[in-house]
Amino acid sequence: MALKQISSNKCFGGLQKVFEHDSVELNCKMKFAIYLPPKAETGKCPALYWLSGLTCTEQNFISKSGYHQAASEHGLVVIAPDTSPRGCNIKGEDESWDFGTGAGFYVDATEDPWKTNYRMYSYVTEELPKLINANFPVDPQRMSIFGHSMGGHGALICALKNPGKYKSVSAFAPICNPVLCPWGKKAFSGYLGTDQNKWKAYDATHLVKSYPGSQLDILIDQGKDDQFLSDGQLLPDNFIAACTEKKVPVVFRLQEGYDHSYYFIATFITDHIRHHAKYLNA
Amino acid sequence: MCYGPRTPTRRRACEELCGCRGAMDGEAGGAPEVHRSPAPRDFHFCPTDLYDSEGRLRLFPEEHTRTGRQVPAEMTSEPGGAAPGKAQSDLEEEVQELVDLYALGGGGEWGAELVDGSAPRVEVSEPRLHLPAAGAQRDWRLGAEAEDPGCLGWGAAGRDLREAYRYAHGRASEEYECYVIPEEEDEDEAALVFCVTCKAPVRACEVSDAHGEHEVTPLSKALESAKDEIHKNMFKLEKQIIEMENFANHLEEVFITVEENFGRQEQNFESHFNEILETLAQKYEEKIQALGEKKKAKLEALYGQLVSCGENLDTCKELMETIEEMCHEEKVDFIKDAVAMADRLGKFLNTETDVEISAQPDFEDQTLDFSDVEQLMGSINTIPAPSAPVINPQAPNSATGSSVRVCWSLYSDDTVESYLLSYRPVQDGSPGKDQAEFTMTVKETYCSVRNLVPNTQYEFWVTAQNRAGRSPASERAMYMTAPSPPVIKSKEIRSCEEAALICWESGNLNPVDSYTVELTQAESPEASGVTESVVGIPTREALVQLQPRQRYTIYVRALSVGGPSARSDPVTVYTTGSFFHLNQHTCHPGLTISEDGFTVVRSERKTPAKEPLPGNTRFTRCVAVMGNLIPIRGRHYWEVEVDERSHYTVGVAFEDVPKQEDLGANCLSWCMRHRLASSRHKYEFLHNGTTPDIRITVSPRKIGILLDYENSKLSFFNADISQHLYTFSCQLHQFVHPCFSLEKPGCLKIHNGISMPKHVTFY
Repeated sequence: MALKQISSNKCFGGLQKVFEHDSVELNCKMKFAIYLPPKAETGKCPALYWLSGLTCTEQNFISKSGYHQAASEHGLVVIAPDTSPRGCNIKGEDESWDFGTGAGFYVDATEDPWKTNYRMYSYVTEELPKLINANFPVDPQRMSIFGHSMGGHGALICALKNPGKYKSVSAFAPICNPVLCPWGKKAFSGYLGTDQNKWKAYDATHLVKSYPGSQLDILIDQGKDDQFLSDGQLLPDNFIAACTEKKVPVVFRLQEGYDHSYYFIATFITDHIRHHAKYLNA
Repeated sequence: MCYGPRTPTRRRACEELCGCRGAMDGEAGGAPEVHRSPAPRDFHFCPTDLYDSEGRLRLFPEEHTRTGRQVPAEMTSEPGGAAPGKAQSDLEEEVQELVDLYALGGGGEWGAELVDGSAPRVEVSEPRLHLPAAGAQRDWRLGAEAEDPGCLGWGAAGRDLREAYRYAHGRASEEYECYVIPEEEDEDEAALVFCVTCKAPVRACEVSDAHGEHEVTPLSKALESAKDEIHKNMFKLEKQIIEMENFANHLEEVFITVEENFGRQEQNFESHFNEILETLAQKYEEKIQALGEKKKAKLEALYGQLVSCGENLDTCKELMETIEEMCHEEKVDFIKDAVAMADRLGKFLNTETDVEISAQPDFEDQTLDFSDVEQLMGSINTIPAPSAPVINPQAPNSATGSSVRVCWSLYSDDTVESYLLSYRPVQDGSPGKDQAEFTMTVKETYCSVRNLVPNTQYEFWVTAQNRAGRSPASERAMYMTAPSPPVIKSKEIRSCEEAALICWESGNLNPVDSYTVELTQAESPEASGVTESVVGIPTREALVQLQPRQRYTIYVRALSVGGPSARSDPVTVYTTGSFFHLNQHTCHPGLTISEDGFTVVRSERKTPAKEPLPGNTRFTRCVAVMGNLIPIRGRHYWEVEVDERSHYTVGVAFEDVPKQEDLGANCLSWCMRHRLASSRHKYEFLHNGTTPDIRITVSPRKIGILLDYENSKLSFFNADISQHLYTFSCQLHQFVHPCFSLEKPGCLKIHNGISMPKHVTFY
């Protein structure tokens, strides 16, 4: 698994790098961004995975969220993968912005023609961590995950499907109940087929209901003026209700006046980094 | 004084002892290897050490410089019993043996003197050396002296040494001779052992002959034990010298005292006798004068009487003559004159003639009053009545709460048998005359007066008395007893990791000057028992800086002119987390604070209808109570145990938060409020009446509250699962206090004095 460095920029004493590698799971070249804090020069640091939202690449988060200072101070290695396989020449992959390229939805597709490449769940939970652990000064025992929108959904399901794997999880405006929202229905039917029971395995709200109760502190920020919230794409209330019932600790902050953008993310990114640092550096 | 000369003498003697040591070194130093031989040099003890190390330093180098010259002198002028024709080759051997002997002697030469039993050793080994005056030796010594006239020769040194030694130890000079050092050794065999029985070194080969039955030890061992013995004795000697010097000093003091006392007594007698003589002379004068006057008066009276007597006589004679003349007259004339005459005669005879002697010639009995003289005479053997003592002002720290130490002094000439110390309390306002006076008899010039009232002023005066009488009273001096110990208000102690705020009651009716806080850090081995003090505290509270996570025992003392009070009862402060008590004065009447002070209960019954008194201390609308947090701008953490179903508000507020408003409704308070509406939990984080929209899926049972002045933040946590709930950014321009409110019946349990969990340090 040869890593090819695409870029490297010094940032808050550390280095923001982008690498390219040949992904086994996705059968294509994949890029990911990685921030190495100053602390990584002398020792192993915890790894925090960021999953981006629809249409994003590894670039959006690293250029827009302004997470570097907090990551530098807390000594966290932050990894931001791309959101889907690219250039696989699958028919229809570039037809819409909410399906195919840039919309991998962090599931392992079971349907043709997607099942060969669209294995983003395995990629972010297995292949990428192995690659990172092998090539960078990270402590494999300490990892957390967070994300935005579709990536927030991805972060929640990764954490809920793998109790104990992630020390903490947080999300910005996550798609909380994809089986019930238009984005989710479209993606899941495309990647997973029509059997809705298979969808539930990638639905945070459903996953919480069967979550075995390993301690997981979930922080969710949601802009109140988020158009996708009012469009019924995110459905956080369903998730909160499920967590309340299952006594899974969530702090859900409905932020007055904020929308779905990276401006919103940038406003609260420090809180999220601190949230993870609390568990990763405990 | 009389001992003055002794010390120099003693010192000189000891210098000479050293000089003699040096000379011995010089002798031995003839052979080069002797210089390497450690024995003589190791012999560090020198009596001079006890007196004047300079003397030693000065003398030794001198001796060393002389070494080279003296040895040839010794060799050439040797007239003693040593074979004069001895081969040169033997010489070295002899010297070597000398060295051996000296090695022994290094420790032993003094020992020979000091330990009686070891003297014979010298006799046995070198009987020849027991020359009574060591005449032969002296000869060659003199030779050496002649060669180097400025130096101390053996003879001179030896004589002085003996004297000095005898002086110091009272020993016979003959004994001293024992450690005249042999200057040659006849034996050519060096193998020596020590016969314990004979106390002499013998050749190994001789052991079987003369010492066959005797206990024999190697020479080195004998040497060691002999050295030990000598050192032991040296110490004894050293001690004795010190003791003697002390005794001499003491005698000196006694001497001076005796001299002074007798001198004083002489003066006393002289003045007394002079006084008596003066009195007698005065009495003589008075008496003589009185006698003269009396004599003159008597004589004058007698003379006057004599004159009048003469006058009477003249008159009588004239009358007789007149009558006789009348008898010779004519009858008619006679008759005429006789009638007149008879009248005149009758008149004359009627006037009595005083024939009493106006003044008695005999001397009236004149008793002389010598009583005052007698008294003076009587008092010669005693002493004058003392003059008024001088009472001292109060010394610092000489008083306790119930006692003062009063001191005074007298004029040195006075002899006093006892003092009468009187006192009475001084009270402001009243003239104090009606206060009871107390008097006690004291032998010393000080007295600790007990059973007094704390923090009170007393007036003291003292009179001295002896057989001759009593002195006038001294001036009056004011003394003050120390205050009573303060009483720490243990229910008002506040602390955090860096400090503690201690409040106390004075414990005294009168004001005190200041307070001292004493603190002892317990459970810290390196600082165990060390007491720190914070002094000069004018108020009845103190903020003391402390180390985190320690246990302190704290005391308070009150201080007045009289000194410090005893310690107050101790309180224990733990600098783990922040510790506060609830402020009862702020407590809404609807709330009850439990016995332990940390549980707040709102019971089912309705709050009293009676309106609480107006004022901004007590919560009147919101059923709340405030805690007293220590005013330290650090980080404070506490926890509140809540019932998931109760309606509570917890947070912080400024002390002057409007008490008629709800907590969080204004900009002077920051709170987390929980309400339960139709089985839905609602959490609000209220400040100035507004809250962010936050939903919490797990209801906290224990809320952690972190107040961080440094970062101007107030954070809330679900303490059980370390979940961060919310953080206020707040401008804390003043100190805030924890506050707790219950909107409906229920209870809150406050946990403080707990260390801050790690997870909160991220906020």
